[in-house]
Parts: sequence; structure tokens; C-alpha cells
Amino acid sequence: MMQTAVAPNALPEKISIKNLKFFYGENLALKSINLPLYEKKVTAFIGPSGCGKSTLLRVLNRMYDLYPKQHAEGEVLFDGGNILAPGQDLNLLRARIGMVFQKPTPFPMSIYDNIAFGIRLYENLSRSEMDERVEAALTRGALWNEVKDKLNSSGLSLSGGQQQRLCIARSIAVRPEVVLFDEPCSALDPISTSKIEELIDELTADYTIAIVTHNMQQAARVSDYTAFMYLGELIEFDETSKIFTAPGDKRTQDYITGRFG
Amino acid sequence: MASLGNSAVSSPTAQSLYRRRRRGNGILLSLSFAATIFGLAWLFLILAALLWQGFSGLSPAIFTEMTPPPGEGGGLLNAIVGSLIMTVAGVVIGTPIGILAGTYMAEYGRHNQLSNVVRFINDILLAAPSIVIGLFVYEVVVAPMGHFSAFAGSIALAILVIPVVVRTTEDMLNLVPNTLREASAALGLPRSVMIRKVAYRAAMSGIVTGVLLAIARVSGETAPLLFTALNNQFWSTDPNAPMSSLPVTIFQFALSPYPEWQKLAWTGALLITVAVLALNIVARTFLSPRTSK
Amino acid sequence: MSEHIVTRYDDELKDVQRRIAEMGGMAERLVDLSVRALTRLDTTMANSVIADDRRLDQVQRECEELAIMIIARRQPMALDLREVIGAMRISNDLERIGDLAKNIAKRVLALDGQFQSKRFITGVEHMAELSLAQLKDVLDAYAARDVNQAFEVWRRDADIDSMYTSLFRELLTYMMEDPRNITLCTHLLFCAKNIERIGDHATNIAETVHYVVTGEALTQDRPKQDESSVTSVSYETR
Repeated sequence: MMQTAVAPNALPEKISIKNLKFFYGENLALKSINLPLYEKKVTAFIGPSGCGKSTLLRVLNRMYDLYPKQHAEGEVLFDGGNILAPGQDLNLLRARIGMVFQKPTPFPMSIYDNIAFGIRLYENLSRSEMDERVEAALTRGALWNEVKDKLNSSGLSLSGGQQQRLCIARSIAVRPEVVLFDEPCSALDPISTSKIEELIDELTADYTIAIVTHNMQQAARVSDYTAFMYLGELIEFDETSKIFTAPGDKRTQDYITGRFG
Repeated sequence: MASLGNSAVSSPTAQSLYRRRRRGNGILLSLSFAATIFGLAWLFLILAALLWQGFSGLSPAIFTEMTPPPGEGGGLLNAIVGSLIMTVAGVVIGTPIGILAGTYMAEYGRHNQLSNVVRFINDILLAAPSIVIGLFVYEVVVAPMGHFSAFAGSIALAILVIPVVVRTTEDMLNLVPNTLREASAALGLPRSVMIRKVAYRAAMSGIVTGVLLAIARVSGETAPLLFTALNNQFWSTDPNAPMSSLPVTIFQFALSPYPEWQKLAWTGALLITVAVLALNIVARTFLSPRTSK
Repeated sequence: MSEHIVTRYDDELKDVQRRIAEMGGMAERLVDLSVRALTRLDTTMANSVIADDRRLDQVQRECEELAIMIIARRQPMALDLREVIGAMRISNDLERIGDLAKNIAKRVLALDGQFQSKRFITGVEHMAELSLAQLKDVLDAYAARDVNQAFEVWRRDADIDSMYTSLFRELLTYMMEDPRNITLCTHLLFCAKNIERIGDHATNIAETVHYVVTGEALTQDRPKQDESSVTSVSYETR
């Protein structure tokens, strides 16, 4: 097992995963993961299906708490505090660590309300302030120009790619610090995928991003760091340019070159 | 077939097997078609009889006059209004209870044992003969109060409404994709907000349909009202007194020897059928625009 | 290395490698022939070198197209990516080596009829042997993916360079001795330069082999012994 702790110029770690173990009932799904998420960098998780990469992502905002019989051990330090600690305010945590899912999940309400919904929960804004926030979020989500004339139509009326960008805009509207992407493009066509990738690129200016993807080229395109996982283990973590040109582990090499049995 | 060349499909064995399958297919198709016709025929006969017998009795008097004593002409006004009052009351009592219970089962108690028990009991309640419900309410409400009442009738109808609404609410909430729940949670929404603002909204058309179907079901119930609200020959809106209703009036008039009463019974049956039909159509249209999306 | 899930991908990569091997053989032969044509002033042999170089150019183009096709269709990663990029670089080097051999052959044609003394040529011939050995070694290293052997080739380039520097002095001296030698010696000087550059391309290939196998560039400064650009032979001191 090779876990290179690369921190050439000691980048600040937004999230530090230390000895993380995760259980589905009795099943050990993650075996002692150690990994940093560097601040304002994109970290990609790749690996074959069932390797635990989505599971790992869902630990980071404690999404697994929605389900019984799942639990995590170890530490996940987020700005120094352990998010796995009991008594953690999950709603507050999730407002700080946003998530975008595989399938676009617009709420059954207008485009405007989709964005305003999350904001209203934490802030009391006047109508005009809210309008500004919604516009800012949609602009950030690269969707404003396409929807500015139909803010009152249902979020479900948008195309798949637009819906996904709406979801991204919705996530960043509540001003999180970290955004988790769980295979955000797997249901989208290549053009929409490019738009999302462009968006992720722009978001790195302000956010720390983690992305799970099945598409290795996508990981190579969007990320600064890449973690390769296999059977619940972190096999290799390094700069993306290193992973995709000269990976250190044979399993990583076999996987990214398409030699996996 | 020539273009298939020497593939297995064109061999003689394959050809004969194919012919045999075609024959089997034909037989099954005709059988199921015949069964469909048989079932539909009765339905059409019933509707035809209703229209034939009931339509002739339809007149403005039906909606303006009270049920008559034997041998005189009259209307069904008190029965229609009574039915409306008790149905509305039953639905108003039963729907919130049903929705809340369904919500508990789908959202909060999805993984626990209590939900399974409640679901099982609810299914029994759903299938229970309505006369049992009528007897139960008679024992619990009518007997202690000492007299029949519209109030007791409403409770009996509410008990019929609850399992239908519980079932549809749970089913419809289960149909709300889990990703939507996760997306809400990922925004930091508390569960109660998620249920009210997201899940209900997504399941709205389904739940409304369930309620409409529940109304359709109870509006034709006779047995539970017979033991609870009984009947009333006269105009009454007093919930504490017996109240007339269409199904019970039909029951009483249809069994009577008086031709005027029998005529009114047919007309009443037509009214209920049309009302139920209309509710079903409304329910269907309510459900369709969302599901087609 | 185990095989790809997609068999065609393996076939395509092997195809590229086969073409490199083919080009390597051709380049070796061209260098060998051109030097022999030079030592014997054999114009027929020289003409065949010029003709064969076209074939080498053509294989190089094919190899490059194949590599581009693989990049476009398979998006090679890691080892495969290095393999394809390496093949493109090596095919380029081999094609240049062919050009240099052709250039020597052309000079043989230009020298046609000139009297020559064996003593002028031995130096060039010796240098050519060394370059040819380098080329052969580096092609073996590529075929065997042998980093150590590639590194040896890379290190030995210094020998050719220093030999070139001394040959440069020698030929300059001949020219000063007798102006009638100038034409022949100038051509020989260019031939020597070409051979020295063949050695450089062999070194490039060695660097590429190192990259293909390890994923890292050979970053040390290459030992550079070619001082001809700063070398002069003073007429007075002689």
C-alpha cells in the first residue's frame, strides 16, 4: 500500500481524512483511509465500481447518517474539527459542505425558489437582496443567461445539463466552503459535461472540490489531485499529472490504462 | 426468409416450432379477449340499466324536494345534502390522520418495526368489510350516545378514508426519489422542512389522487351509515341527529313496494355513479400530467 | 504487462512498436551503407541509400499517423501514453538519422571522381562505427525496455563528441597542409558532423526509452564533448 503524502509546498488542508473506516452493517467498506483535500484544489476519486469512492464522499458530509446501520470510525478533520464527532450539527455541516449528485435533483418548484430555498433557511433577506443572491448563484452556475427570462417556471422544465447546473448553483447559493460532486456528469451529454467541467474549473477559485467520477479522462481534465481507490483501500494519491502519466502503483496503472481484469 | 440464408431460424424444425408458438399465442389471445368482453359486458349492462331507469326520473324536483312519504312524488335533496355533509366530514377527519400516518411510515419510520406493523394492520383495515366498521362505530359511538347521529356516520366514513389515504400517501412518498431527500439533506435542510417543502410537493398529485379515490369509495358506502347515521325522512343538518344519505335512501327505497320510491332509488343510484365516475376522472387527470413528465 | 481489456488497443500498440523496429533496422542499414559508400566512393551504393530513405520517410509517416490515431481513439494513459509519445519521438529521430545518411550519400555523389587517400577517411569511418554501435545498442534497449542499456548509450555519446572534435582538428590540419584537400576535407567534415548528429539522435532515443520506462525525463546535463564550435587551429603555431 502506498500512500504518498505529497505536500511539496505544504498546501493548506481543508479536510484531512485520518484512519477512516466505514461500515455498512458488519461490512468494512473503507479500510483505514488517510487523505488530505487541499484548500481550493480539485481532488478526484477514481476506481472501479464498488471501490468505496462514493462512500468516502458521502462520509464527508455525513450523508450516511440518513441510513441506519452505517457508521464511520476514525477522524475527518474539517478546519480542524472532527466532523465524525457526536453532537455535530449535521444541517450546519451540510450547509458548509455542499453536494451535487449523479442525477440532477431539482426540487419540484420554480427555478427561482430552487435557489432561494436553501438561502431562506439560514438568512433573512429582503426581496431585492434575495433577487441579487439568486442571480449571483445562477450566474456562478453558468445558467443565468439561459433562465433569466423564466425564473418562475419549474426547475423540472430544464434540460438535464441545465438541471445539473441549477443544482450546482443551488449548492453554492448557501455559500459552502467545500463542494462534493458525486459523478455529476454521468447522466449528461458531452456538451453539458464540458459546461460542468468548465464550471468546476471556475469554482476552484473559491471552493475546495472533491469529485467522484467513472470517467478517467474527466478526472484527468478537471482535477489537481487524484486518488485511486480499489476494494475500499486508497491505493495511490498524487498530483493528477503524475497519476495519469507515471503512476507509482501497478494497480493504478492497470486501471487507468484499461488493463483491469 | 431467404435473406436469412442458412441461419438456424430457417431450418425446418425452427419453422415448425415457430408455427406452434404462433398457434399457442392465438389461442391465449382469443381467451383473454373473450374474458375482457365478458367482464366489460356486465359493466355496460349495469350502466345501461342505471341510465335507462334513472335518467327518466331525473328532474329539478330531485334537487329541490325532500324524500317523500310513500305514494307521493318528491326529491332527494335531504339525502344529497346529508351525503355531502357526512362525506366531507369523514374526509376532513380522516385525511390529516391518514397523511400523517403515511408520512411517518415513509419518512421517519421507514426502517423500523412499528411501520411494518402499522402497514400490516392498515392493509387489513383497507380490506375489511365496511359493515364491520359500521358495527364498530355503532358499539363505540352510537351505543354510548344512545342514538344514531350524522356525527357517528362521519366517523365511520373517516375510518374508511384513513387506510386508503395512509396507503397512497406512503406509496407516493416512497415514489419520491431518494436522491431528492439526499439533495435536500445536502443543502442542510432539516427533515421536517424537507418533508413539507420537497417531499409533499413532489408527491402532491399522488396524495390528492388518493384522497379523491377515498372520497369516491366512501360516497357509495351504505353499510356503515346504516348502523350510524341511520336515515332521516326530513331535512336535517344537525350532526347530533340521524341524517339522511343517498346510499341508505337508495337501499331503503329500492326494497320498498312503492313504485315512486323505486324510481327515486334508481335516480339516486345514477347520481352516485356519475359522481364516483367524475371523481375518478378528476383523480386520473390530476395524476397524469406529473407522471408523464 | 498484462493485456488491455480491448484487444484491438493492444494490436494497435504492437503495430506501432513493430514499425519502430522496422524503421530502426532501416536506419541502421542506411547509415552502414552510406559510410561504406563513402569509404569506397561507391556511387551505386550511394544512390541506393538515397532511394531507400524515401521508404524510411514513408514508414515514419505511417507510424506517426498510427500514433495520432491511437491518441484520438484510445486516449492512452500512463504507460500507454508514454509508449505512444515515445514512439512518435523515436520515429522522428530515426527519420532524421535516415536524412543524415542520405546527406552523406549525396556527398559521395558530389565527390565522384575525386582522388582520395585512405588516411583521410579512417577517422570518419571509425567514428561511424561508434555511432552505428550506439544506434544498435539504443534500438536493443528500446526493444528490451532496458533503462540501464539506454543510460549507457546516453553516457557514451561523449566519446563520439570528443572524437568529432579531434577529427575536426585533423581535417583542418589537412586543409592547411594542402589547399587541394579542401574540397574533399570539407565534405568529410560535413559527413563527420552528420555522423556526430546520428549519435545525438541515438542519445535522444536513449532519453526517450528512459522516459517510456520510468515516466521521468533524464534531467542530468548530458556530457558534452563536442568542442568543435569553440575549436580553432592556429596557422602560425604550426
